[in-house]
Amino acid sequence: MSVRHALLGLLAQKPRYGYELCAGFTALVGGKENWDVKPPQIYTTLARMVDSGLVTFNNANGQQSKGEYAITPSGHDELMNWFRMSNIEEPHQDPFYLKLMLSLELDEVDASRLIVIQRAALYQELHRITEQRQTLDPQNQLAQMLLMDKSAMHLEADLRWLDMIESRLDEVQRQPAPKPALRPRGRPPSQSA
Amino acid sequence: MATIEVKNLSKVYGSGETKVTALDSVNLIIEQGQFVAVMGPSGCGKSTLLHLIGGLDRPTGGSVFIEGSDISKMSDTTLTELRRRKMGFVFQFFNLIPVLDAIENTALPLILDGIKPEIARSKASEWLSRNKLDGRGNHRPDELSGGQQQRVAISRAMVSDPVIILADEPTGNLDSRSSDEIAVTLRKIVTDWKRTVLMVTHDPRIAAYADRIIFLKDGKIVDDTLLNGSNGENAKRLKEKVESL
Repeated sequence: MSVRHALLGLLAQKPRYGYELCAGFTALVGGKENWDVKPPQIYTTLARMVDSGLVTFNNANGQQSKGEYAITPSGHDELMNWFRMSNIEEPHQDPFYLKLMLSLELDEVDASRLIVIQRAALYQELHRITEQRQTLDPQNQLAQMLLMDKSAMHLEADLRWLDMIESRLDEVQRQPAPKPALRPRGRPPSQSA
Repeated sequence: MATIEVKNLSKVYGSGETKVTALDSVNLIIEQGQFVAVMGPSGCGKSTLLHLIGGLDRPTGGSVFIEGSDISKMSDTTLTELRRRKMGFVFQFFNLIPVLDAIENTALPLILDGIKPEIARSKASEWLSRNKLDGRGNHRPDELSGGQQQRVAISRAMVSDPVIILADEPTGNLDSRSSDEIAVTLRKIVTDWKRTVLMVTHDPRIAAYADRIIFLKDGKIVDDTLLNGSNGENAKRLKEKVESL
């Protein structure tokens, strides 16, 4: 979703060529390492926006990369609506939580070891981000540094949660496992006389 | 020869029913030039480990070897001298002497070692300068911010040219920004000044500056992770860990 709106944002500044939009998106997100959207995906998104009337396309020779895109009033409205929305991420869909819950049901997997391994991995990632942040120039790359800070803070939060669940794992294990709610199927059993 | 080697190290307080095992037969090797963080929940034994390695306390079992010498067998006098020459300490509450200014605080270890005051002061100024405290030399601790005080403490720790820096929650009393500055300084001590740093911390962001994290729980090491992912040794260890599942 955000890719489409980022492109509208870039076009709201001025009309642009296809290849400019690809490069512009990459620059906006702070590089391919952060968010890698390949040109075909960008061009597909642009084509859909042309179909929806959010954007016009003026092609000299049919190639999307060399044609010029421009925003329409409709596209501008769409962009402004997006700015007015708030963005809440989905923290409840957590693969690690799934793994942990399953490990409590399976004898062959040790939940405590899972936590130890996850913690080590989180620290390695935090170390990588810390090192990367050190290479940035606060005079010219402050925005990217702040993005690294955001990643670091999320990792710190993950580590805190890990400590929390580790200290209460025994309690969790003692409680009954979540049972799926199955509706009874077929006819109700007949009442024998 | 490892810079720090710990063998079957134990520390037990009290006896009988009130016995508390702070450290339980810990084994550890730290090579020269490593930046190692020690982490774990309250009461896991991390500060005890640091104090035993620094010779600030005696073990009840096992040994500590500093550059091959068994410090657990040394007399108080020899140990005090070794500590003054080979180790620098950085504490959570800075532990600066309130009536001395920054230069005097920093020069103190050298003065105690019998170095001439002019030379001691000159070395102290150099270290204060490296830690961006130019012009603060004549300020007393109460005239300095927390971050600045800790940088004086680090200068003091480095002035005697130690082999090892031991830091016990060095950022525990600092705000976020000062904490980062201190972590960067400790990192430089390893990367630029080629010393070994052992740091107890509960702050993940600060631990992330280290090369290696040792996790303690109930007096034992439960995990030992290298933070640099490009290291082949680390990949091997990770594989072993996953297989241990």
